Amino acid sequence: MTLQYASKAEMPEGLAVRIEELSLRYKINVESKMTLKNAIMRAGRGEKRRVRTIEAVKNLSLDIPHGTVMGVVGANGAGKSTLMRAIAGILPPTEGRIIVNGKVSTLLALGVGFNGTLSGRDNIILGGLAAGLEREELEERFDDIASFADLPNGFIDMPMRTYSAGMYGRLAFSVAVNMTPDILLIDEALSTGDAAFKEKSFEKMRQLCLEARTIIIVSHALGTLNELCDKALWMHQGNALAFGDATKVTDQYLEFLNVGKVPSALEDF
Amino acid sequence: MALHLRGMIANVSSDLSSGASSESGALVSKIQIFEPHKASLPAMGPYIREFWRRRRFAFELARFTDKAEHLNSPLGSVWLVLNPLLLALIYFLLVTIIGGRGSAGSSRFDVLAHILVGLFTWYFAQNCMTFGGASVTAGGKLILNQAFPRALLPLSSLIGAFQKFMPTLPVYLIIYLVGGALDSKSKLPGLNWHLLWVPVMVALVAISGFGLALLFATMNVYFRDTSKLMTYGARMWLYLSPVLWMPEMIHGWHRILIWANPLGPILAITNTVWIKGENPSWTLWLGATGWAFGLLFIGGYFFVSRERDFAVRI
Repeated sequence: MTLQYASKAEMPEGLAVRIEELSLRYKINVESKMTLKNAIMRAGRGEKRRVRTIEAVKNLSLDIPHGTVMGVVGANGAGKSTLMRAIAGILPPTEGRIIVNGKVSTLLALGVGFNGTLSGRDNIILGGLAAGLEREELEERFDDIASFADLPNGFIDMPMRTYSAGMYGRLAFSVAVNMTPDILLIDEALSTGDAAFKEKSFEKMRQLCLEARTIIIVSHALGTLNELCDKALWMHQGNALAFGDATKVTDQYLEFLNVGKVPSALEDF
Repeated sequence: MALHLRGMIANVSSDLSSGASSESGALVSKIQIFEPHKASLPAMGPYIREFWRRRRFAFELARFTDKAEHLNSPLGSVWLVLNPLLLALIYFLLVTIIGGRGSAGSSRFDVLAHILVGLFTWYFAQNCMTFGGASVTAGGKLILNQAFPRALLPLSSLIGAFQKFMPTLPVYLIIYLVGGALDSKSKLPGLNWHLLWVPVMVALVAISGFGLALLFATMNVYFRDTSKLMTYGARMWLYLSPVLWMPEMIHGWHRILIWANPLGPILAITNTVWIKGENPSWTLWLGATGWAFGLLFIGGYFFVSRERDFAVRI
C-alpha cells in the first residue's frame, strides 16, 4: 500500500480520480500448487519457476469528475477488476500514477463476511475498522446498514456461513454504499440479490450520484449499465478501446461481442 | 495504443465537488496518490501512521477470532491453560522418569517448574508463529477488497497470542509458590525482586513473536505448506531450546544452542529469574534484545516489502 499525501494543487477541482499513464503488470505462478515441497523438488530437478507476466492494464490515462457514474465493460480478462483494485489502492501501479480525491468505498470481493464463523454484525464492524472508520462511527451507521440489507429476521446476528449467496451480496452492498463514500467502486455485485433489492440498489446509487458522489461499476449487464451510467469505459486485453457516453460505448461493445472482433476504427483509438 | 482521454468529459462545477467532500471527515487524507514503489519498501512514515491509526482493527479482529473459536468449544479458555499444563506433565515424566533426572538430591518439582514456565513462554511465541502464519491467507477477502496496512493482520495474531498467554501467568505463579512451599527439597527462590523483570521478558517475547508472525505470514503466502512444515519445525525448535533441559546443562561450544537460537537467550533469562532467582547476565539481555529486534526488523522488512504482492497471490 502506498499512501502519499499531496497538496490539493496537483489535482484539478472537480476531479474524483485522475489516472496518468497507468500500467499494471504482475507475475502469476503457473505451478499447480505453491508449496515449499514443490519449490525444493523443482530446484532439485534444476527447473525454473514457471511464471507468466500478465499485462492487466496498458498505458491508461483517464480523468473522472465528481458525480460521474462510469460503467466499465469488457470481456473476461480485460483488466477491469485489476483497474478497480488499483483505484482502490490495493494494487500499486507498475507505471504511471493514480490520484484519488475523496474517500473510497469498495465492493470488489464481497469483502464483508471474510470470516464465516462470525455474525454479519461482527463482520460489518471488522470491515469498517479495516477501512479506517472509527468504532463509534460504525455503531452509528450500523442500523442504516442493517435496515438497507433487510436480511430475514435475526440473520444479522447469525454466523455468515449460514447466509445464502443473495443475503451475502445484499449485506456486502449495503456496507459499501452506507459508508458515505465520495467514490464507490463496485465489481460485479449487482448480480446478487432479487429484483426488489436490485431496484433498491439502483435507487441508492442514483441518490449517491445526486450527492455528486462518483461511482465506478464493473458489470456484464449492459442494460443495467445503460440505465445507471452516464459514461462507460470499454477495456480489452488491458487497453482502453472506447470511452464516452454509456449507450454509445455499450453499443460498440455489443457489436464487438456479436461480430467477435475489435472494430478496426477503434483499434487506433 | 496509448490513450489520452483527459479533458473529454465536461468538468462538473466545483461547488459540486466541494459538497461531495465535506461530509467525509472520518478519513485523515483527502487526496491519495498511488504510485509505483521506487524501492521495495513503501514510504514508511505514512505506513506506520496508518498502521497505528487502524490498530483498533487488529484488537477487534483478535477479539472476534477468539469469540469465534469459543463458539465451537465452551471450555476454550480452560484449554488454553490446560493444554500446556498437561504437556508439561508429559515432558516432566519423560525427563525425570525415563531420563532419571532430578533423582540425585535435587527437587523434582524444580524440574517441573522449569519446564512449565519454559513451555508457557514457548507457547506464547509459537502461537504468534502459528496464528500469524495463517493471518494473511485467512484474511484473503479483506485483502482483495480493501487497502490497509497488511501488517495489522499479524499484529492481531500477536494480540491473540498475548491474550492467551496472560492467564497462564497467574496459574503458573500459584503452582510455583504452592509447590515450592510444599516440596522440602525445592530450591526455588519464591517471591523475589528479580521477578520485576517479568514484564520486560514478556515484552521481549512479544517483539520476537511479532517478528516471527510477520515472517511466517509472508512465507505462507508464497508457500502454502509452510504452516504444515511449521508444526514439525516448531517441535524440533522446542527440543533445541532450553525448555526441557536447563541452560547450565550444556557447556563449551554446545552453548551455541542458546545463542544461535532466536528464543534461546530469553528462555535462559526466564530460567534464571524464575528458577534460580538471580539477575540475568547482561550478555543474556543483550542476546535476547538483539534477537527480538532482529526478528522484528527482518520479519517487518520481509512482510512490508512484499505485502503489495499479496493481493495478486491470494
